[in-house]
Amino acid sequence: MSEPRQVNRAYQSQLRRNWWLKHGYYQRYMLREATVLPLLFFCGCLLTGLYSLQHSEQSWLNWLAFMATPWVIGLNLLTFFASLFHAKTFFELFPRVLPILPAPLMIAGQWLGTLSVALLLALLLGGVL
Amino acid sequence: MQVLETDIAIIGGGGAGLRAAIAAAEADPACRITLLSKVYPMRSHTVAAEGGAAAVTLAQDSMQGHFEDTVTGGDWLADQDVVEYFVQHAYEELVNLERWGCPWSRREDGSIQVRRFGGMKTERTWFAADKTGFHILHTLFQTSFKYPNIQRLDEFFVLDLLVHEQQIVGVLAIQLNTGELYQIHAKSVILATGGAGRVFHHNTNGGIVTGDGMALAYRHGVALRDMEFVQYHPTGLPGSGILITEACRGEGGILLNRDGYRYLQDYGLGPQTPLGKPENKCMELGPRDKLSQAFWHEQQQGRTGDCQGHAVVYLDLRHLGERHLQQRLPFICELAKAYVNVDPAKALIPIRPAVHYTMGGILTDAQCQTSIAGLFAVGECASVGLHGANRLGSNSLSELLVFGHVAGKQAASFAKTAKAAARTEVDQYCQQQQQQLQAKLGVKSADSIAAIRHEMTLAMEQGCGIYRDTAGMQQCLATLAHLQQRYQQVFVSDHSKVFNTELIQHYELGFGLDVANAMVSSALARQESRGAHQRIDEGMQQRNDERFLQHSLAQLTEQGAASIRYQPVRITQSKPAVRRYGAEPSQQEQR
Amino acid sequence: MQKTLVIQRYNPEQDHKPHPQHFTVPCDDSTSVLDALLYIQQQLDPTLAFRWSCRMAICGSCGVMVNGIPKLGCKTFLRDYKDDITVEALAHFATEKDLISDMSVFLTHLQAVKPYLINHDTRPQPHQQTPKQLAKYAKFSNCINCGLCYSACPQFGLNPAFLGPAALTLAQRYNLDSRDQGKAQRMPQLNGKNGVWGCTFVGFCSDVCPKQLDPAAAVNQGKVASAADFVIGIFKP
Repeated sequence: MSEPRQVNRAYQSQLRRNWWLKHGYYQRYMLREATVLPLLFFCGCLLTGLYSLQHSEQSWLNWLAFMATPWVIGLNLLTFFASLFHAKTFFELFPRVLPILPAPLMIAGQWLGTLSVALLLALLLGGVL
Repeated sequence: MQVLETDIAIIGGGGAGLRAAIAAAEADPACRITLLSKVYPMRSHTVAAEGGAAAVTLAQDSMQGHFEDTVTGGDWLADQDVVEYFVQHAYEELVNLERWGCPWSRREDGSIQVRRFGGMKTERTWFAADKTGFHILHTLFQTSFKYPNIQRLDEFFVLDLLVHEQQIVGVLAIQLNTGELYQIHAKSVILATGGAGRVFHHNTNGGIVTGDGMALAYRHGVALRDMEFVQYHPTGLPGSGILITEACRGEGGILLNRDGYRYLQDYGLGPQTPLGKPENKCMELGPRDKLSQAFWHEQQQGRTGDCQGHAVVYLDLRHLGERHLQQRLPFICELAKAYVNVDPAKALIPIRPAVHYTMGGILTDAQCQTSIAGLFAVGECASVGLHGANRLGSNSLSELLVFGHVAGKQAASFAKTAKAAARTEVDQYCQQQQQQLQAKLGVKSADSIAAIRHEMTLAMEQGCGIYRDTAGMQQCLATLAHLQQRYQQVFVSDHSKVFNTELIQHYELGFGLDVANAMVSSALARQESRGAHQRIDEGMQQRNDERFLQHSLAQLTEQGAASIRYQPVRITQSKPAVRRYGAEPSQQEQR
Repeated sequence: MQKTLVIQRYNPEQDHKPHPQHFTVPCDDSTSVLDALLYIQQQLDPTLAFRWSCRMAICGSCGVMVNGIPKLGCKTFLRDYKDDITVEALAHFATEKDLISDMSVFLTHLQAVKPYLINHDTRPQPHQQTPKQLAKYAKFSNCINCGLCYSACPQFGLNPAFLGPAALTLAQRYNLDSRDQGKAQRMPQLNGKNGVWGCTFVGFCSDVCPKQLDPAAAVNQGKVASAADFVIGIFKP
């Protein structure tokens, strides 16, 4: 054992691009992260809506028609459920990061808050329209 | 072969080694300290200690009380000056740990909480839930990062000590992940390698507790003292031997035999204390030797139960309630669930005695110095003279702090004055050792390291267990001699350099065989019963102070046997008396 | 009863990459993966290399991948697996031999966060600390340094310089300790790109933690602390 030893050849495996496909837990994580994609589409819709509103009446009507097409409705429904899913995961993680109250209480509180804001908006916007 | 120069080499990264390293680093910031450990330090077996660490803490307690409990618990075989030093310094060491961040359990007002423990007349055991050793080890390990002069060599296994003219020169070690040999030259060396419980079949110890340091010193002519005293912990899990802490009984747990009867009351530990109201030094809070011996008698009389082929009695914690258990004994709940599928809040835990601790070890003086200049030993591998014939629970964690501190300081001051020894002879010796190592590597043979080790552990269990007799021990010695012959013939089949774990096991088995031999030889020579050493031979069933109020010293002879001689016990204030537990007050307490 | 273990063997002196080897072991209801590995080493192949010691889930030595999930060998039981069981060295660490991973990067990360009590008061008395103050960090002090969380963390797999769950949890453990005054010294490490912000809250680390410490929570609590540290830094002269 006196001869100088070469560098120890430890085997290092590399994570490939598809690392997240290897495990159910990682897949669910990626699903959570992917909820941003339909949300991006929805934000695009909103921005286009704003733009067309200040551009001309025709473009506003075109936008309304666009929003009513079945595939856009479908995509926005997807956004809705994706956001709900993301909210669920987020609400469950939150009490672990800021452990102020018992977790179930904090989770319920967050849902209650979401529901209240949604109701308030519905009332406000419903009243305007 | 690589050569490293350092001032102090510490062998072993458990509680004692780390405490010594920190003490040396603080004593002399200029001194280079090299800490070698065969595992990463936080894997060391200190990690598995559960119950706590003792120090006089409460107003109603006294140094005298802790002194008496320790001396009585050790059946008057402790060196009393050492015990005095220990009880006086235990508290400040626990405070040190507190100030380094150890998460000790607390009372509502924020002060330190103490619990009852076996053989202690009052509450004086500091604890961190039921993972005290774990927290002590991690606190020491993490605190050691603060000191730039502590250099760690993790996963280095020490093969031999380098000694020249009765002075330590350094150690020879192998780096596990390269197989490379290192000569580490040091002015002081501290052995802190832990116990040797793995030479027995049923034990609470981790796989690394193989007696390495004891054998290293023994082979260089240092005596092993009081090796016959091997502690059986009364509550290990059947089969695995996993430790179920004495703190369970400190909290109020009770022991039942097959018929649900609290059998300890029949063995001088009664009368029965009311359920949930444990009393110090009574019943379940008797010392470990008495409790393990009571199990043996129950087993002889057929009053033990059966758990997967093992004779067991039962630990009942149900009356403590789920909440208290989760708060005070969470690890025990986890272990019981995982390893015997029992929820302690609802059912009885099957338990049986298992080898736990070696009271004896490398002979040192009160300053941890061995007979080789510059070689120190501390912790379970050493015999500084604290535990006598039976250690009290929660004294060993305090011991490794108190004497780890002493060893570190002593080693630092020795290193300052010592001169580096001549290298040439050491070099030659190391070359020889390397050749011997090479010679161990061979082809796979019918015999194996695992087989020899298995037979050794069974022989020790049968011949040198809770109760011993002449015929059994002679048989055991003969078996060990035969195993030693087989060991000389057995090769390591693995030729690889990187993590050759078989080679390491070969060395560990060699160490274990030497230590086992010293244990049985010392036990055979002690023709009396004292503490953890109990003889059933006619005329040896009682303590015999006239002949055996002495430490045994085992010395390795050229033929590989152990020669036994004796050394007087240092008695300062407590004259030997009858050890009394249970309701009978002891003589000291009457005084 | 018998079961088959498929072990990924790797000997750096002979192999270029790990290869599977099958072993059949006897087992009953109490046989752990560690027991099975010990059986193989003692009875079938003494060259099999792995780390172990306490066999009671406290020393943290015996972490391995069991069917692709990081586990402690001593606390994983064959009874819970129906078919063959694959055992490999911990993921995301380099494999030194068979089931032995190179843990040096883990140790380096641990040491980087100054994981010791920093307090300049030198009185020789114990601090006061109420059970409530203790409870704030007690859970995070139970880390056994087994490294399973690093094998569960894809961010560590992608970037080995990321301090990772255990080290960041340990930093949080000391930052939350009422006796500690070293937070300011630890924050630069935590704020850095390999500190808390390297975590994307995959959360698998908490799932595999054998001591249920919830390292993911600790790391993300670290993010709150880091953000607060940033805001305070803006207003500080």
